[in-house]
Amino acid sequence: MRIDVDRARCEGHGVCEESAPEVYRLDDDGEPVILVDPIPPELARKAEAGARLCPVAALRVVDS
Amino acid sequence: MSSAHSAPFHDVVIVGASVAGISAADTLRAEGFEGSILLVGDEPEAAYARPALSKSVLSGTQQPADVALPPLDDDIELWTDTRALALDPSASTVDLSRSGQRETIRFGAAVLATGCRPRTLGTPGQRGERVLRSMQDTMTLAQALAVPGITVAILGGGFLGMEIASTARGLGAEVTVVDVAPHLLRQLGPELAGMVTAAAQDHGVQLELSPTGAQLAGTTEVTGLLLAGGRVLDADLVITAVGDLPNVEWLAGSGLPSTAALEVGPGGFVVPGVVAAGDMTARRDQTGELLRTPHWHSAISQGRAAARTLLNGPPDRDPPSTPYFWTEGFGLETKITGTIPPGVRPIVIDGALAELSAVLQWRVDGQPVAAASVNRAMPLPKLKRLATPSEPAAMNGAS
Repeated sequence: MRIDVDRARCEGHGVCEESAPEVYRLDDDGEPVILVDPIPPELARKAEAGARLCPVAALRVVDS
Repeated sequence: MSSAHSAPFHDVVIVGASVAGISAADTLRAEGFEGSILLVGDEPEAAYARPALSKSVLSGTQQPADVALPPLDDDIELWTDTRALALDPSASTVDLSRSGQRETIRFGAAVLATGCRPRTLGTPGQRGERVLRSMQDTMTLAQALAVPGITVAILGGGFLGMEIASTARGLGAEVTVVDVAPHLLRQLGPELAGMVTAAAQDHGVQLELSPTGAQLAGTTEVTGLLLAGGRVLDADLVITAVGDLPNVEWLAGSGLPSTAALEVGPGGFVVPGVVAAGDMTARRDQTGELLRTPHWHSAISQGRAAARTLLNGPPDRDPPSTPYFWTEGFGLETKITGTIPPGVRPIVIDGALAELSAVLQWRVDGQPVAAASVNRAMPLPKLKRLATPSEPAAMNGAS
């Protein structure tokens, strides 16, 4: 499983990072960073839950 | 006797399938809960990014499918187009209307998260008042706006009204926004409100004050707004953005109050086995005042807290939380965290409002209480730190 970020759409609200800091981070410029790629099974659930909270739907869960 | 004994059973029923509800569902699973979860929502589609509606969806740059949130996991059952009719906390049942069919569900525990709906001003028989809350509202409004040169009157100069104004103007409409008080002043304070309203006027949006209130004009079809002093503002399209009403009426007969936002205790506790979260709820602050925080970010933390309360019991008190919300329009993206104190001038930490790029901080008695960024890509934790009183320990050795 991987997480796709639509960078053009991301507005840097950081809800994903608050929800799953093991997976998501906004860097110092407010740009989204996926910390683990692909997502290991033990983090899959958390990664998906974080993606589901994005207020601009910029995160997609992709099966790989 | 009802047929409740034979009704289908779910360990947890979550009533409301937007972000508070899905946050509760995901948190239950994240905390190791293995029982059955049924999530029901009255909209025809699964959860979507509601904050995008007034901006990219209304403007047509994004389609409904673009703002759909990733689907729930297979072990969470979702019923869309399902409205809650009644709750019986002592019998642990909820009555639902699923695609028009009445069903009773027994539950082990319930999360109430039915959100809110727009407050409307139309009188019976008056047609044509438009609002924006749901995907359906947005698509209807988008269609109405797709008329070249259309005149639009928006009542309500808060975040929603001003965002709709920005989008409608971008689509070429002639837009006037009316409010009883200066636009955005209550939400943003004079400095930021001044910046946004100046940008709105630069974009050709008219801002009007009607201090004694306004009404919809027209006896059958709404034709505009009746303003203070009897003045009439004619418009092809009238949109109201005058706040919202919590969806609590379905709780009538449950023993829970059903006439105002549902007051919840710490962790969203309502009664044993029932918790609530999101826009339908209100909480007491430290001064005892009942407060609603109907924002995306609050709905998430409340959904999370409600799930934990079901699993672990209610906490003694809610952890301190810093509100976070934002607004976009007229080329400005403003993010605010904390509570902007009335009558306090912000300190400019970086940039300048005149340059439309700035970081602001509000302090009371020397301690930060709120911060805002304008057109700045800044990580949320960093902004939150600017809105939080510094810990004594952090004063030494802070890098």
